[in-house]
Amino acid sequence: MIGTGSISIFLAFAVSIYAIIASVVGARYRKRDLVRSGEHGALAVCFLLIIATVSLLHSLLNLDFSLKYVAMNTSTDLLPIYRITSLWAGQAGSLLLWCLILSIYTAVVVIQNKGQSRQLMPYVIATLSAVSAFFIFLIAFVESPFEMLPFVPVEGRGLNPILQNEYMAIHPLTLYLGYVGVTVPFAFGMGALLSGKLDDEWIRQSRKWALLAWTFLSLGLLLGARWAYLELGWGGYWAWDPVENAAFMPWLAGTAFVHSVMIQEQRGMLKKWNMVLIIITFFLAIFGTFITRSGIISSVHSFAQSDIGPYFLGFIGFILLFSFVIFILRLDDLKSENKFDSILSRESAFIFNNLLFLGAAFTVFLGTIFPIISELIKGEKILVGPPYFNKVNVPIGLVLIFLMGVGPLISWRKASKENLVKNFSLPIALFVLTLIVLVLLGIRDLFALISFGFCAFVTTTVIFEYYRGISVRIRRGDNLLIALFNLISRNSRRYGGYIVHLGVVLIVIGITASSVFVKQREAVLAKGESMSIGDYNIRFDELSQYTTQAKQVTAAGISIFKGEKKIGSMVPQKNIYNYEGNREINQETEVAILSSFTDDLYIILTDFEGSKASFRVIINPMVSWIWAGGIVLLMGATIIMWPATRQKQKEISLSYAVGSKDQTAEV
Amino acid sequence: MFRGRIKFIIAIGVIALAIAYLVYGGVRDTMVYYLTVEELKERVPGVYEQKVRVSGNVVAGSIKKSLDGNLEFKIADGGDSIDVIYKGIVPDIFKDGVEAVVEGNYTSENVFKADLLLAKCPTKYESTDSLKRAYN
Repeated sequence: MIGTGSISIFLAFAVSIYAIIASVVGARYRKRDLVRSGEHGALAVCFLLIIATVSLLHSLLNLDFSLKYVAMNTSTDLLPIYRITSLWAGQAGSLLLWCLILSIYTAVVVIQNKGQSRQLMPYVIATLSAVSAFFIFLIAFVESPFEMLPFVPVEGRGLNPILQNEYMAIHPLTLYLGYVGVTVPFAFGMGALLSGKLDDEWIRQSRKWALLAWTFLSLGLLLGARWAYLELGWGGYWAWDPVENAAFMPWLAGTAFVHSVMIQEQRGMLKKWNMVLIIITFFLAIFGTFITRSGIISSVHSFAQSDIGPYFLGFIGFILLFSFVIFILRLDDLKSENKFDSILSRESAFIFNNLLFLGAAFTVFLGTIFPIISELIKGEKILVGPPYFNKVNVPIGLVLIFLMGVGPLISWRKASKENLVKNFSLPIALFVLTLIVLVLLGIRDLFALISFGFCAFVTTTVIFEYYRGISVRIRRGDNLLIALFNLISRNSRRYGGYIVHLGVVLIVIGITASSVFVKQREAVLAKGESMSIGDYNIRFDELSQYTTQAKQVTAAGISIFKGEKKIGSMVPQKNIYNYEGNREINQETEVAILSSFTDDLYIILTDFEGSKASFRVIINPMVSWIWAGGIVLLMGATIIMWPATRQKQKEISLSYAVGSKDQTAEV
Repeated sequence: MFRGRIKFIIAIGVIALAIAYLVYGGVRDTMVYYLTVEELKERVPGVYEQKVRVSGNVVAGSIKKSLDGNLEFKIADGGDSIDVIYKGIVPDIFKDGVEAVVEGNYTSENVFKADLLLAKCPTKYESTDSLKRAYN
């Protein structure tokens, strides 16, 4: 099996190089057969990488410790499910997964576009194959997942206990689907630049793929936050760690892109900007992979330090140089079809949205690489920590939430006074009302007030839009549910987008509440003693110690009371893992969380001695809103991406063909 | 048309300036020097007023923990070591020999008062040395 795996990788590398050459030469000399052969090459790469991955999975499941990767990441006491997830626990396996996902995406692109867009596609395939070739090169020659050990250990090192968690099983996978997904819209951009086919085709295709990548990145970030919250045991979900920022930056740029493509589709503007934006987004995705995989910036995530750093730097440099050179060569073909009419228009709301998202990405980028810059310039390592990121990004974020309410309601081209009054009186009234209610409730924190106020503003605009759409249909005789269904399905991008916005609102409410109103207490308690925090009374009942096959557990039994009424019991733990292998990490603190709609009670067993134990107790208000927002966001994104019916697809491509740009009358 | 353009340029300029201001203020107020133990000692007494981040390996046997969460330990790199006191969340991998990163103030009693403690694995994560030692 091992031989099969490594041979497949070498073959995949050779074939992906072939696919680049065949596609480019075929397109250049209009050799249809050669282009088709390149496409088949891309499919073959996918097939070969599936074989390699299955082969590695086979070794992982059967604990074949003669493979270095298996010996380093698994052990005999590891559950089969985590043997599978070990595929992305280490460096080489993660890179293999990167290649596999990219090759699958490439295969989908090939199959979806068979026989279509004959000028554009060869260059798209060539770009995708080139990115594949780089990553396959890494696993073939630098960091092979099939490297053998000179001896066969009887036991492996095992998987880090904090990675043995169901969220860790899906979070990296989701994030990778997002990271890698960004390559596809980038490839369409490059394809358009290289082939000179700079019409709507590339933007339509990349919008679809960018949205898919964006959705996965959003979910990956949220799942990562949830994992940190459950597993890292410091009470929070986001720490502005370089590895977190690495995923956040392409998300920010990608968010700008999925918005600004709409301007190009609707109004034929911002063509240059969109091209630059997708190049930047791809750069940030690769840069993020580079940070997480090379260990260049010290992070608490104990990822591998390895030799792939210089290759990555070379690759990033090449991408930037290459894409900007061909971009400049094509500048003349990227002229706008329309001009901006007014600063009070949907176009300009989008422009400001874009500037702010990109500005935020830039500030995060700067903060992340600050130690490197300062060392280069001043010869001293200077860090900026979480306070920097919060100070800079909170104001930007608040303005963005405001724009999220403005964008959908303001008219294209130039907003008239009537348009502004008609659409914004109600949301502004609700904004003011929310502020008054919150102040009366005793909230004085300025950021919280503004944030909640803007959230009310956005929510009102969304409800208002739905109400308008539905009432038109009800007047035509539909009943409420049918009206709602038709409204969404006839214009899924618009109304799905609103649902995504609602999801974001829920997330913002959760983040705001949990960061502004968090409460924390520490206490040393003897058996039977209680402490109180907020409305909760917490009684420490007992400390029990027992041994399972995998670990020695110390568990504190705690009863939770609200007033006199017992509402539940919690069991925070401290575990020591028994390893046959030789691991540095064997301790694990398992927090206990009692979650509700209004707040999370978060208890950490920090230490124990005899029958006494010390606890850190945190009340995190409304954290569950963040996760709920994630689900709503996913629902909205699914509605947007839901494949249109055949009839509708025809209509869409027809409307592109005719070039009907003005679609303001959408209801 | 022309007036609209100027409005745009002004608006974009305002955004750019606002972001630049946020970055400048953020960096100025939150930056910390990242030093080794040796560099920290070289900078005495100037370093007493500054917030700094220091990394070093936890000296074996130096960890003293009390139940109320107060933690004392020494970190060292090369020959020098400093005393650290800390109260707060202790990472699971914190123990003798790991590389610890602390952030806080070095006081004039030559004790480092940390308000942040991070820990990293001492060896390269993917080194196979441990496997060889155990089973060869």
